[in-house]
Amino acid sequence: MSTFIIDAVGALSTAGTLFIVSAGLTLVFGAMRLINIAHGSFYMYGAFLVTTIGAASAGLRFWLAVVAGCLAVGLIGTAVEVGVMRRIYNSEHLTQLIATFGLFLIFADLALKFWGNSSRTVTAPAAVDGRLSLGGATFPEYDLVIIGFAAVVGVSLWALLQRSAFGWRIQAAVEDPEALQASGVNLRLLRTGVFALGAVLAGLAGAIVTPQVAVAPGMDSAIIVSAFIVAIIGGLGSVAGAALGALIIGTAETIGTVVAPSWASTFIYLAMIIVLVLRPAGLLGIPERAR
Amino acid sequence: MTAVWRPLAGLVGLAAVLTGLGFTLGASQLLTLNEAVGLALFAVATNLLVGYGGLVSFGQAVFYGVGAYSVALGWEHLHWSYWEGLAAAPLLGGVAALVVGLIALRARFLYFALLTLAFSQLAYEIAENQYHFTGGANGVFGAMLPVSLAQPRTGYFFVLAITAGCLAILWKVTASPFGLTLRSIRENRNRAEALGVNVFGHELIAFVISGVFCSVAGALFVVYSQSAYPELLDWAQSGYAVFMVVIGGMFTFLGPALGALVYTLGQQYLVAHTTQWQLILGAVLVLIALFRPDGLAGLFGLAGRRLRRPGLARPTLAGSGEIQEPGEERTRRSPGVRR
Repeated sequence: MSTFIIDAVGALSTAGTLFIVSAGLTLVFGAMRLINIAHGSFYMYGAFLVTTIGAASAGLRFWLAVVAGCLAVGLIGTAVEVGVMRRIYNSEHLTQLIATFGLFLIFADLALKFWGNSSRTVTAPAAVDGRLSLGGATFPEYDLVIIGFAAVVGVSLWALLQRSAFGWRIQAAVEDPEALQASGVNLRLLRTGVFALGAVLAGLAGAIVTPQVAVAPGMDSAIIVSAFIVAIIGGLGSVAGAALGALIIGTAETIGTVVAPSWASTFIYLAMIIVLVLRPAGLLGIPERAR
Repeated sequence: MTAVWRPLAGLVGLAAVLTGLGFTLGASQLLTLNEAVGLALFAVATNLLVGYGGLVSFGQAVFYGVGAYSVALGWEHLHWSYWEGLAAAPLLGGVAALVVGLIALRARFLYFALLTLAFSQLAYEIAENQYHFTGGANGVFGAMLPVSLAQPRTGYFFVLAITAGCLAILWKVTASPFGLTLRSIRENRNRAEALGVNVFGHELIAFVISGVFCSVAGALFVVYSQSAYPELLDWAQSGYAVFMVVIGGMFTFLGPALGALVYTLGQQYLVAHTTQWQLILGAVLVLIALFRPDGLAGLFGLAGRRLRRPGLARPTLAGSGEIQEPGEERTRRSPGVRR
């Protein structure tokens, strides 16, 4: 029982990070039909910025660093949207993939220049750095912080997309951009806003995950593949799907580690392949039509 | 017929130049050129899917890696000679492509691209984690070549000869009725289907052919590197094949080969002169995407229209070439952001 609780909390915590990253990815896809490989770079920059701003000091400074990191990544995202993305919304998927992969390489190289090749660690604030006991199981308190963040992000996104004018406009931007523009909505600004929001989510995930992982070059590439898998399992464009996908991948990874450690890293790919064989457009996705 | 012979003449001319270089270049330059020639086959084989089939695969490195590992693991575990490994590579690559294709081709567009990407990562993780068999992250390395091939010059001529032979076969494939049907599927899938074309079957055959030749390219990789390691299988490696295709131009048969040459020489030059070669590659990719989606061959096509093959229209990844019935666009609903 106690190992089950430990594993369950660990799986949920992994799923939490994955959900926040994938929600940003799938949100951008849902609004602009665009897969952004550089999304992984935003995640990495969020993490690196926290190591720089937060330095070694724990406590309030850490949370300030998280906020500052998110905002900075949001600004980078805005610059990327204005500089590159808005010019390729009407291009083919391949062109878009090439452009965002180019950005991914540029960001990776710049990160190497700014932060070097060494890996950095961050200590969680003392208030959440301890271990909790529950039913004979002890697990890191910080896992609960991540799960909490994921829950807040999930509820906020739901409210934003389903209950606000901004969310309705995003849907309209996909359904009929011209009619939306004709009704007086600034489509360019809307798209910039969505892209920046996606970047902020990636940055947030990278920032809050820092106490759990070694912050090093290469985390951009690792997370983007996981985020693709999560978003695809759930169905591209579906935020609820991202949550579902994150839970599946978090669980698959944890089970894999427990059952067959040397095969653990292959489990998530197998999970994705199985889901896509059964449902080629993901669990909650709608098959993509020709444009 | 001239449309068929002109690129073939170009191929022969190119082979003559490359043979000449084989006699004049020094050993280290020859190795670089050797790599470019091997990657050219990889890129052209990938383009059978990307350019001709409109199937953007980010998983061709699976077969490239299978080819390299066939030689290396056969040598290590079964004491195969290089020739046995080279013979096994296309078979194993073809079988792998059949399995991956049967699954991946069920998905379309982006899902296909990302599903093939997942296969690439799956293959990478298997190669990296099953270290008892594959040697893990270090891979397999050693003297797995016969003495005759271990020399840079003979090795180069060998790679050049195999690549030229494979390109000739691939050229015949693209010019055959099969190749034409493949293009018609890319241009208008629904119409091809309505005409009775077995779309899935054609795409699967294209996938297997591409896998076979990617695998041969992987076996050639061993000639100039004498090793096989997990990075040959990962999504970045798959991506590089797609980039060579895009850099060179996917609307031509030899464009991807040009892309491979530019990519390899550019990488060699930049790595020697700057630490920021990734930055420059990234910038080039962004600029290509923004300004010249048809690649270098398209750029030359502007000047002379020599490289551009007539009748090979702009491919469309998202099937946007499909002819829409009037009023159809209005009623089509795309999936939006949902709960």
